[in-house]
Amino acid sequence: MTTLSGSLLLTFRELWAMRLTQAMLVIASLAWLLLSFALNMDVVEGSLAAVRIFGFDTTPTDGVFNEDTGEWMSQALSLDKFMIGINTFVFGAAYFLGTLLGLFATMPLINGFLEYGRIDLLLSKPLSRPRLLAGHLVGVWLTVLVLSSYLVGGVWLSLSFKTGVWMPMFLMAIPIITVMFAVMYAVILSVSIITRSSGLGLVITYGLIFFSIVLASHNQIVPVLSNTNAAIFMAFYHVLPNFIEVVGVQAQLVEGTVVTSWYPFISSLLFGFVTYGIGFFWFSRRDF
Amino acid sequence: MPILMSVNPANGISVPSGVSSPVIDIADLYKTYASGLRRRKVHALRGVDLQVSRGEVLGILGPNGAGKTTLLKVLLGIVHPTSGSARLFGQPAGDPKARRRLGYLPENHRFPTYLTARQTLDVYGRLSDLSDEARRERIPRLLEDVGLASWEDTRVGKFSKGMMQRLGLAQALLSQPEVVILDEPTDGVDPVGRRDIRDRLRALKQTGTTVVINSHLLSEIELVCDRVLIMHKGRIIRSGTVDELARQGSGWRVEVDRLDPLFEPERWSASLEETGRAIVVKDGLPETLNALIDHLREEQVQIMGIERHRASLEAGFIDLITSQEDAS
Repeated sequence: MTTLSGSLLLTFRELWAMRLTQAMLVIASLAWLLLSFALNMDVVEGSLAAVRIFGFDTTPTDGVFNEDTGEWMSQALSLDKFMIGINTFVFGAAYFLGTLLGLFATMPLINGFLEYGRIDLLLSKPLSRPRLLAGHLVGVWLTVLVLSSYLVGGVWLSLSFKTGVWMPMFLMAIPIITVMFAVMYAVILSVSIITRSSGLGLVITYGLIFFSIVLASHNQIVPVLSNTNAAIFMAFYHVLPNFIEVVGVQAQLVEGTVVTSWYPFISSLLFGFVTYGIGFFWFSRRDF
Repeated sequence: MPILMSVNPANGISVPSGVSSPVIDIADLYKTYASGLRRRKVHALRGVDLQVSRGEVLGILGPNGAGKTTLLKVLLGIVHPTSGSARLFGQPAGDPKARRRLGYLPENHRFPTYLTARQTLDVYGRLSDLSDEARRERIPRLLEDVGLASWEDTRVGKFSKGMMQRLGLAQALLSQPEVVILDEPTDGVDPVGRRDIRDRLRALKQTGTTVVINSHLLSEIELVCDRVLIMHKGRIIRSGTVDELARQGSGWRVEVDRLDPLFEPERWSASLEETGRAIVVKDGLPETLNALIDHLREEQVQIMGIERHRASLEAGFIDLITSQEDAS
């Protein structure tokens, strides 16, 4: 256990030494402090009568179609919808920005871990290669878990106390962000181990995230493709991580509706398992 | 018959007295790297055989690309051998259990720059599976030993190359290992620091610790090693004590009053000094010296003096490598 604690400690210290980790903590603190103190709401009969941020009126309204007049009319937004909107916004920001920035921030971490003079010293210690890599990974995962818990948990608590509306499913954002970050981290780590270029790892990981935007539109794209191209496209859809579609899973969780399909999340998870497997295999076999 | 045991004072581990099973045992070791898109083969090790006994201080010499670092990395499990075997304490190299009894200072090691000296040793102590108590007791003492006590709370990023080497040495000795492998331990260290490291190595030798040093500084090797091996192009081309290897260029210097212009020094494996008044016999054999004296006396040459000419390890090393290069 001592060896594993050494590996974890090294990763934690390295992540803490990175300014971006500290910046993320500051941003998360600002987010829930803003919601706690700068956001004021007047609720009348379950609807938002007024919302003020720093004293400025920003009352959101909901559009309703009046069938009698045939026109759209605005009415006070329900508190539940307002909460879903805020939660979805926070999740989206944490999910996209957090993952993109987090992956960018881990590039020097991987570089440091694999650089000559450092990795050979680590490998000379009495712990197996898989254990060494596992220590590094658990350190990264735990850090992401703490950061996302701090942001999501803080926002959830401050909003819930303020409005009296408790949406526990919003907290599902914590494991979803952590797991999806871990899935994408599998790519950057494994590519870095194989090619010894974390830059290439980052490019491929970002490429997969942006390609998942295309994959998320499979219902619109596949019908216009030939059979062969459609099969290739769907093969990509099933094999590659569905980073974007997972947003829909979380949105349904927050809205309290039944999740229509966990497939994007599960297939991404499987992709992560396989990619980590390749990374561990290569790390165990290669010379440093 | 009872087996007598002796205790290594460095780590308190008992070993049978008089039993000299090698702590490092390498047999017919090959390592071939494939590099580039065309997978061009580079033969880093070609049939290396080596045994190192407990308590021995072994120096490895060789020009760049000789395979020295690869040999050490195979022992540590950092590089996988292509064929052959490498064993540490009877266990296959690369087995984490074997590495528990081993300390290593890599060439051009890099510690995380954001850690202080004390934090660095704490992290690497944990990685070496040292208990909290052992780390608390040993870290301040080792920092004191390597002259970094007053820098213990300074970030490693501010350290000079020499200070990094001292910290690296402290790290290698932290687990009180039975075998210490040092790759260029005095690289970048000032003369005083080099002397301190030498003293430290001598102290290790006193405690029965096995030390393997890879260094370009032949004078360092000469001063601390029991045995030296010279590697060239992936092979061990010579192995022996410092004296044995230095003898390669040893001989006699014969000072004379005059010399016949037709004197042929090659006939005596000798060379003439620029003054033309001294002959240096290189092969070190007494027979050659006596034959030369007989010849000079026949020629009525006055012998003004004879002195033993002892070549350094460096001279022996250079002669050997040059002859290998010429042969290939």
